[in-house]
Amino acid sequence: MSEYFSDDMLVCRCEEITAGEIKRAIAEGARDVTGVKRRVRAGMGLCQGRTCEKLVQQILCAELGLAPDSVGHSSARPPVRPLTFGELAEGVVE
Amino acid sequence: MDAFDVAVIGAGAIGTSVAYHLCEKGLSVALIDRGDIACGSSSHCDAVALICDKQPGIDTVMGQASIDLYGELSKRFEYDFEYDPKGCLYVCETDAEYEAAEKYVSEQVANGCDMRMAGNEELCEMEPYIAKDLKGGIYTPGTGAIAVSPYKVCYAFVEEAKKLNLRVYTYCKIRKILLNEKTNAVEGIETDQGIIRSNKVINCAGAWAPDVGEMAGLEIPIQPRKGMNLVSEQTERICFHKILEFGYMMSKFDNINFKRNVSPLVEEYNVAFNIEYTKANNLLVGGYRGFRGFDIRSEIEAMKAISERALRFFPCLKDIKCIRSYAGVRPFVKDHLPIVSDVDSVPGFYIAAGHEGDGICFSPITGKLMAQIVTGEETDFDISRLDYARFAG
Repeated sequence: MSEYFSDDMLVCRCEEITAGEIKRAIAEGARDVTGVKRRVRAGMGLCQGRTCEKLVQQILCAELGLAPDSVGHSSARPPVRPLTFGELAEGVVE
Repeated sequence: MDAFDVAVIGAGAIGTSVAYHLCEKGLSVALIDRGDIACGSSSHCDAVALICDKQPGIDTVMGQASIDLYGELSKRFEYDFEYDPKGCLYVCETDAEYEAAEKYVSEQVANGCDMRMAGNEELCEMEPYIAKDLKGGIYTPGTGAIAVSPYKVCYAFVEEAKKLNLRVYTYCKIRKILLNEKTNAVEGIETDQGIIRSNKVINCAGAWAPDVGEMAGLEIPIQPRKGMNLVSEQTERICFHKILEFGYMMSKFDNINFKRNVSPLVEEYNVAFNIEYTKANNLLVGGYRGFRGFDIRSEIEAMKAISERALRFFPCLKDIKCIRSYAGVRPFVKDHLPIVSDVDSVPGFYIAAGHEGDGICFSPITGKLMAQIVTGEETDFDISRLDYARFAG
């Protein structure tokens, strides 16, 4: 599986994080999606991991030989989509 | 069977620093956490270390010593923890707040701290996007107000300590503290990864320290106190220091002497504005504190209240997007001082926990002091007020 993820492949588009950087985070001790996120910012950008989370999970599984359900997912936090602080303060979305 | 001079429980900002400083003394050290490094409060907090949010006395002395240490570590460590001596502004909305701030500053300056008052005009020059009608505030330069990435601080301590032979047991659950039947002295820890032998165990489990204490028959009076922040999209720089409203100090110490002119929602959630930019150019906007047990879900009403309060100080936030909220627990102790101490009734058991919102700030100095306690050296300064024995009786 690992051969599908060449080190220069861009995985997190928002933060421009490559598969190689994610593999290094795993080598440093990350064992789940959140561990990768904190070490290299994959999933911390505007889309909050909606695009890359599945890929990060696959890399974790491939690198560590783990089952897909054991590498976790990013914790769900509001807002569901970006809102301005103005919209949040007023409680009204235009 | 694994055997070490010291076993440290908890791999957050306190435990990783304690482990590093013990390794530096040449001791063999095991660092144990039930999850990943920095999986608790140290990844659910903000990113600054300040002297200007501390009470005069031991609180400030520890803060300054720790900030100084961060500066040294940033030069010495290969691992980049995003040290940024950005300075801090504590801004005042009213004349009454300004007067209270002046009083606070004169006391801190008399104790040797580097901070001063800045008036409205200077404030607006330092922070061109801030609301123009503020009275001014307390300015603390980078010597007493820095930012770091809180979880990278933990990774840095671990990576640097690994070079000194630290053994890391992450995703390792503790079942039992092994105590000598006759002397009650610590003999080791039983975990789901086997027994770890050590005559010294340091409880650095933060808000979870009471659970670890219970395994050694100790009652540790730490409660989880929730804190919550909002994260903005990456944006051009609109603030140039760590900025907090002076009311934050009141909120932190729970004695709001000043009735702020705020909405019932802001009042209800005890929201005090603070903002900082991160290295990646997101903004962290806070904050709210409350007692909710270990429930760290985001609260929509608190998000509204934080946003409302933030617009008061930075009107331009109106059009900047919030992409995430996060919340975590802070290890709260009633007297707002951490416990950094040995324990008379359990020889070999130590506690470094209860730093509430100052775990990141106090991380380096707590590690240094604990290493001094464990090796029987004299501590850098008198820390008798941090003794666990203060809760006896």
